[in-house]
Amino acid sequence: MSKAASRANGASTKRLAEDGDICPVCKSSRYLNPNMRFRVNPECYHRMCESCVDRIFSHGPAACPIAGCKRTLRRARFREQTFEDLKVEREVDIRKRVARVMNKTESDFETLRDYNNYLETVEEITWNLILKIDLEATEKRLRLWEEAQKAEVESINSTVSRRLHTATDTVDPQSDTARVILKKSGVQRKALGPSSANTPEPGAMDTGLKDTGFTFAGLKKRVAPEPEKPFDPYGGWNIEPQYYTVMDDYDVDFISGAKTDVHHLAGGYDIRDFYSRALCEAFSGFGVFVEEEVIARENQASGDVGVGTQTAATVADGGKEVNMDDIF
Amino acid sequence: MKLTEDDLYRTSTQFKHWSFTPSQLAAQRLQTNIQASERVKAAVQRQRAQRAKQLDPASASESDRNGTPVPLDREVNCLTVAEEKKLVDTFCEKAIELGGFFKFPIEVTATGIQFLRRFYLFNSPMTYEPQTISRSAMFVANKTEGHHMPLEKYAAGFPKATSEQVLAPEYLLVQALRFNFDIRHPFRALKGGHLDMIEMARGNAYTFASHILKTAALLTDAYFLYTPSQIWLSAHLLADELLTLFYLSTRLPPSSPLHSKTLTTLRSCAALLSSHHTFTSPTTSAADKAAKDKKEKEEVQLLIKKLRQCRDPDKLDLVKLNQAQKRDAVDGEGLEEKKAKRRKLEREGYQKEADSFWGPELPRRENGAGGK
Repeated sequence: MSKAASRANGASTKRLAEDGDICPVCKSSRYLNPNMRFRVNPECYHRMCESCVDRIFSHGPAACPIAGCKRTLRRARFREQTFEDLKVEREVDIRKRVARVMNKTESDFETLRDYNNYLETVEEITWNLILKIDLEATEKRLRLWEEAQKAEVESINSTVSRRLHTATDTVDPQSDTARVILKKSGVQRKALGPSSANTPEPGAMDTGLKDTGFTFAGLKKRVAPEPEKPFDPYGGWNIEPQYYTVMDDYDVDFISGAKTDVHHLAGGYDIRDFYSRALCEAFSGFGVFVEEEVIARENQASGDVGVGTQTAATVADGGKEVNMDDIF
Repeated sequence: MKLTEDDLYRTSTQFKHWSFTPSQLAAQRLQTNIQASERVKAAVQRQRAQRAKQLDPASASESDRNGTPVPLDREVNCLTVAEEKKLVDTFCEKAIELGGFFKFPIEVTATGIQFLRRFYLFNSPMTYEPQTISRSAMFVANKTEGHHMPLEKYAAGFPKATSEQVLAPEYLLVQALRFNFDIRHPFRALKGGHLDMIEMARGNAYTFASHILKTAALLTDAYFLYTPSQIWLSAHLLADELLTLFYLSTRLPPSSPLHSKTLTTLRSCAALLSSHHTFTSPTTSAADKAAKDKKEKEEVQLLIKKLRQCRDPDKLDLVKLNQAQKRDAVDGEGLEEKKAKRRKLEREGYQKEADSFWGPELPRRENGAGGK
């Protein structure tokens, strides 16, 4: 009965398989298993149901069960398909892979024309991969390019980190804590070690001799970013007293209490701040002779027209422009 | 790039906007006085004309019942510049007492007094009454110096003032100050100088100089004419001349051209400080001082009486003026009908807009949480 039925329904079964409701491997249909989900592997893009994937690949890599396809697949690479059309799925994957390697932007090139040439090359190799023209040669070039890029980035990183290390060393040459940290982070050192050993010195490295897969005209060379300068809250200004020098300590009655008072000290109060502030205030304006400077300011203000100082001067003068009574 | 102490002072608003030469100061006071008297005269004339129009049909004796401060046919006798200045000085002295009453730190009182002096450089006591302004100035000084005093508590300290009366002239005052709140006082400067000098001598010069700074320096034009550094040095010069001169010579060698110039500036500042009536040198006797104070008091009483005669009638009620500027809170005739209506419509429009943005009001739940 069932055999006859299957034979009679042969044509419709095939159509169902094409529609995607029957697994091509185990032939179970969605009619019987409504939760069935299909997976594809980007290696060969053959569809099969989830239970088939579990069954065939749970014990490690195996050959693709579809007749005629002998690729070895791994379970981890199976995934749900994003696009209905598997060709589109494949093209998107290839484009993703190429874009990850060929990631230059317009600012990396000297001229727009160079950039456009680069884009043209990228498109060409993408289509080579999609249409499987010169597949091996293209793949190899791509791999070489990727490795060259990686080496370049790494050499820059190593110079930056070396610069950082020398900076900390000069700040604190015989710091015990730095040595302890180095000892502890053996993993980190190991990770650093081989990379710096493998990559030649940035000066010695000659990219022209090595085969990088591609050469682009007008491609700027990567340069290490400038080391960040320490932040200066005063923007380069500093106060240099003219008339006084602050001493380390003063023996005066009215501050002797504050020096030892725990209420002051707990908040991080430093009596020396008071010394420098009080002395600065004592002499700020010591050499400013108001009468002279105000007159000089007036003259200057009347000299140049339309400058902010003039309006300020008139305001300070209480000129008629300011009407104090009408607020609005 | 280097900055010296003098450059630091030159960046302050006190130097930029509030330092004057004596002649400028006098000219400004004269101008303020002239403007204010003109205003008062014009306002009084206008009022008289209005009243005359109203009273025309009624009997002439009505005007006596009205209790007008100024008789109808006499010209208003306005204050002179010197009298104005004296009044302001008096109220500054009263402000010191006020600060003592509220136990404010000296910085707050000093800032309040300087606010008051700056305010009356461009406004006349005839326009704005010094008493109300000084209350407000002290309150603003409280806020700028970071000394927290709630308004209610502050207003409760006055027998006759409400918190509205304190707040009403606030914006007026702050605007007259050109929003320059920073006042450089010589108090910490004196302490710094004292620190520096303590190595040389021990005496009570500090107490005396600080007393001068807390009284005479605040009550004269010293802040307008000199820098804080010069003020404290002059006060110290008055307190201990020999020590100060020696100290100066250590900071500024006598050979330098600045030395004599600085010294003349300090001397003139010291002369200004010692000219104030609160200044008492150790040589003046107590009886002398008492007589001086009494004479001072009598003069001031006369002046206050005179001020009552020539107040600007437009600016009598600052609370009402302030309200009129803020909202149409004044009853009826304070605003024109049309304006009030337009504002009301606008307010309703805003309200509606806000409501439509946040959606309609939530239905009120009955009995709070237990309404289930």
